Amino acid sequence: MNIEEMGKPIEILLVEDNPGDVRLTQEVFKESKIRNRLHVVKDGVEAMAFLRRQGKGTDGVRPDLILLDLNLPKKDGREVLAEIKADDDLKRIPVVVLTISKAEEDILRSYNLHANCYLNKPIEFEQFIKLVKYIEEFWLTIVKLPPR
Amino acid sequence: MSELTEMRQRIIELGTSETERKKAEEALRESERRYRLLAENVTDVITSVDMNLRPTYMSPSITRLLGYSVEEAMTRTLEASLTPASVEAAAQAFAAETALEHEVHDKQKDRFRRRVRELEFYRKDGSTVWAEVMVSFLRNSEGQPVEIVSVLRDITKRKQVEEELKKTLTELERSNKELEQFAYVASHDLQEPLRMVASYVQLLARRYEGKLDADADDFIAYAVGGASRMQKMINDLLTYSQVGTRGKPFQPTDCQAVLDQVLANLKVAIEESSAVITHDPLPMVIADESQMAQLFQNLIDNAIKFHDEASPRVHISAKQKEKDWVFSVRDNGIGIDPQYYQRIFMLFQSLHNREEYPGTGMGLAICKRIVERHGGRIWVKSELGKGSTFYFTIPKRGGEKHEY
Repeated sequence: MNIEEMGKPIEILLVEDNPGDVRLTQEVFKESKIRNRLHVVKDGVEAMAFLRRQGKGTDGVRPDLILLDLNLPKKDGREVLAEIKADDDLKRIPVVVLTISKAEEDILRSYNLHANCYLNKPIEFEQFIKLVKYIEEFWLTIVKLPPR
Repeated sequence: MSELTEMRQRIIELGTSETERKKAEEALRESERRYRLLAENVTDVITSVDMNLRPTYMSPSITRLLGYSVEEAMTRTLEASLTPASVEAAAQAFAAETALEHEVHDKQKDRFRRRVRELEFYRKDGSTVWAEVMVSFLRNSEGQPVEIVSVLRDITKRKQVEEELKKTLTELERSNKELEQFAYVASHDLQEPLRMVASYVQLLARRYEGKLDADADDFIAYAVGGASRMQKMINDLLTYSQVGTRGKPFQPTDCQAVLDQVLANLKVAIEESSAVITHDPLPMVIADESQMAQLFQNLIDNAIKFHDEASPRVHISAKQKEKDWVFSVRDNGIGIDPQYYQRIFMLFQSLHNREEYPGTGMGLAICKRIVERHGGRIWVKSELGKGSTFYFTIPKRGGEKHEY
């Protein structure tokens, strides 16, 4: 039995600073068949505050999945990833790195920091829709997520 | 009596040798006059120095070259006459030449060997002048060098031209690099905002097609088309700018394996057009493997794309020449009018309607850059309606010097 069958929507945290990308991701998740709640934070500091349930707007929510951009203001995605994976309470949450960067260095570094997978943001919109559907299908349907 | 005869004989002999001596002296003087005449009337400067580098002779043309009179020039040391860099060059040359002198056995044979150096001299007015210096050693009867004879030729003009050429070349390289960098940064950074434009017009199309009116549908469709075309162009421009900046070092590359990979990449295009691709055995070359793949892929892709009713037939081969491999990609397609042989290799140049033959017009420009990065050439031979053959060369670069 997966989380969705338990009747609660899946909580997703999107860490992304570009409002255009945020909205685009929101729009595609709106078309999703899986009940989900997409929470958005715009930089690394906000992301850590959300995860540690400090500050406003966190509603005490613990995400089931994190979509993480690498290039972020204040605290960048690599630091956020390192902090999550070094935190005994947070390290079980799957982190999907979703970035425009194709640099080998970023890919290696992300996996070294225990990213659960690394995805390139496609340039083509159709491909982006497909990618989001794949994320849904794999991470939210096929994968057995850790219990909350 | 016999003594007298003997005496007489000796006098005659003496007389004869005296005459001969005089004759010989006269001949010597004449020879000396001849050489002096030559030395003093050529525009080149002729000088000689002894083995301690002290001047022993200078022809009058030294005045024209350096501004000093012969007498003044004779008193000047070599160190004072040359710029510091040339003093060093001359010292090195002198050391090397004298060392060589001891190694040379057949001194007669070596006598006229020319040793040429380029040295920069100070003129009397403080300016400098470049001279090409041809040096030979003057030897005594034992073959020992006693003097160094030099011929100096003014090459300041040539040097200036060389210097300017060098400057222009450096400048050209710099501006070329800058341009490459610019193209890279521009195409890379433009991708991001363009992705937003393209994505949102596509989202508009997805959500609102058929829900507004026919005009709106048309407008959105044009916006979607334009954005997607621009994305392809920028992507190609990025590839183009990366040929020079992001190229990998040249390594032994099996063209056969590269071609197999390319044909696998083009599988869909080949099947859709029922193209028949054949090839001769292909060699190993010293190249950037991924760029070779890109090169073959662009050429074969074109060969498949530009065809008429007949399904495409493409043949790839390679011929070994003295210094390089000449590759060819031959097709039976629509061909190219000779007037466009140059233009097709330029940026964003398409000869055809995009609806007929889609593409950004960048493929061959990328090919040209790849081939040029490898030190080769690319060209085409074609006849309208009878197909085209694209040729390119990849230098062999003396295989033994490279690691296999």
